[in-house]
Amino acid sequence: MKNIVIGQYVPGNSFLYRMDARSKLLALVVLMATAFIIKDFYHMIGMVLLVGFILVAGGLSVTRIMRGLKPVLILLLFTFSFQMLFVNTGELLYTTDLTLTLYNLPIMMGIIIFWMISKKYVKFRFIYLLLAVFGVLALLATFAPGGVISSSRVQIYSDGVLGAFFIMMRLIIIVTLSTILTLSTKPTDLNLGLERILKPLSIIKINAEEIAMIISIALRYIPTLLDEANKIMLAQASRGVDFKEGKFKDKIMQIISLLVPMFIISFKRSDELANAMEARNFVPGRNRTRLHVLKWNYVDTFVMIVVTLVFAISVVIRVVM
Amino acid sequence: MGIQFEHVSYGYHSIEGGLFQAIENINVSIDAVGEFITLIGETGSGKSTMVQHMNALMTPQSGQVTIFGVKLSKNMKKDTKLNPLRQKVGLVFQFPEYQLFEETVLKDIIFGPKNFKVPEKEAIQRAKEVIKLVGLDETYLERSPFNLSGGEKKRVSIAGILAMEPDILILDEPTSGLDPKGRDRLLDLFMDIHQKTKKTIIVITHDMNTVYQYASRVLVLNKGSLVYDGLPKELFSEQNIIDWNLDLPDILHLKKHLEEKYQKKLSRSPNSTKDLFLLVKEELI
Repeated sequence: MKNIVIGQYVPGNSFLYRMDARSKLLALVVLMATAFIIKDFYHMIGMVLLVGFILVAGGLSVTRIMRGLKPVLILLLFTFSFQMLFVNTGELLYTTDLTLTLYNLPIMMGIIIFWMISKKYVKFRFIYLLLAVFGVLALLATFAPGGVISSSRVQIYSDGVLGAFFIMMRLIIIVTLSTILTLSTKPTDLNLGLERILKPLSIIKINAEEIAMIISIALRYIPTLLDEANKIMLAQASRGVDFKEGKFKDKIMQIISLLVPMFIISFKRSDELANAMEARNFVPGRNRTRLHVLKWNYVDTFVMIVVTLVFAISVVIRVVM
Repeated sequence: MGIQFEHVSYGYHSIEGGLFQAIENINVSIDAVGEFITLIGETGSGKSTMVQHMNALMTPQSGQVTIFGVKLSKNMKKDTKLNPLRQKVGLVFQFPEYQLFEETVLKDIIFGPKNFKVPEKEAIQRAKEVIKLVGLDETYLERSPFNLSGGEKKRVSIAGILAMEPDILILDEPTSGLDPKGRDRLLDLFMDIHQKTKKTIIVITHDMNTVYQYASRVLVLNKGSLVYDGLPKELFSEQNIIDWNLDLPDILHLKKHLEEKYQKKLSRSPNSTKDLFLLVKEELI
């Protein structure tokens, strides 16, 4: 618990690290918008290649990005299958009947039960699940003797396939780009960059500086509070709380014995922090100078120009084609 | 048989990836009866790490700790029950805020005993005894632990450990943040418990007066190593304590000044101010 990493920042030395947080944020927004403008297949391929290029040129490990994509895998699959099944415009590519009969119903249940029992022993569970689902579908499509219980027709159209492809690519691009940002930018820099970008919002009475202050204090206190939690755990363990064992009822008591001191200590901490800030003459909303100043370099200007060009070209292609 | 340390080391990983040795090759043996030990050393010298090894909150990275016959080391059995050891060796942490959580002081005190399967009735009986032992009265049992003063919270947290009836009692800086009178009363209380029950008490402290007046044995940690283990009087008269960032107790300071003024050595170290007065009357004036 001691060396917890907040955010995903990984130290490095590529052009991504030399860029200003502001330009990175802006470039991210522009590139994401571009990904949504694109309608053409080859154009989309080009966009994916561009993101890939940023990844490689930025010297970031591809496996880390893959790990970032893992949580959205389910979402990807859902949108993919919905697009495939429910869009019915364009050319009809493939059609089949899924029929549930008295004979293949027990076989299907057999597959599902076998999957449920055996999934514990399989290494790639997700792929195993996909295999099981595919197996059931194949069974329903091909083997259907006997009395029909229910039947439904599956039709896959070209627009559905294309739509599914675009949605997947867009999601992948968005997740990859935001992972690139968080991997290459320190949370504090990111926060400062966000504050500067949101500054114009003060016209509509939204104080970006205060929001940024709240975020940075929250980030700053994560390790401190974890440390406190650790100490509380040790103190309660000394009084016989066994965090590893115990019945459910005991578990609740254990968690309460952890949470109550945690709350009290965090309130105390925030009180102390407020006093310390006031003692240093902190006035909310007043103009302040910064210890770390963001610096706009040539590389930022260059990247912004490139990104804007990419955006402009995409708009042109979209309009013309 | 109490606690044995054999070549015990423990290190923390620093953020840069290096290893910071908190304690290194500690060898010490502590009896379960009749010892009043003070553990001293500058901040960061490994005192807390060492006492957390004493009640199995930590297990050594190398070497072996034996607590009441239970051996703890890197390759001990996975199913070694650590929890019972924490009942035998009670550890009071420095800040009571880390452990007080119940609605009433009574509930908080019986929390420990109940975790060790002491029947509720007996636990309440114990709570009534220990609350008096720590110098508070029974009216406190119904109060909320969060409405108490710092000193009272500390007493309640100590009572919570005492109610577990440990064989060895360890206190991590029990007197920090207390006024001088409260500090003396608390230390007298420990002395009292020690004399009545003969239980071994280990106190982490920065106060050399405590070491000199109360301890029967003193352990000095310096940069993770145990550099001294012996009588307090010998520590202050014979050892080079400046290197360990330690100071003389007030009474020995006074003795030193008097010796310098009168250009004459006193024959022995005084135990108390009264003793010093008598000594000065006899030998100097």
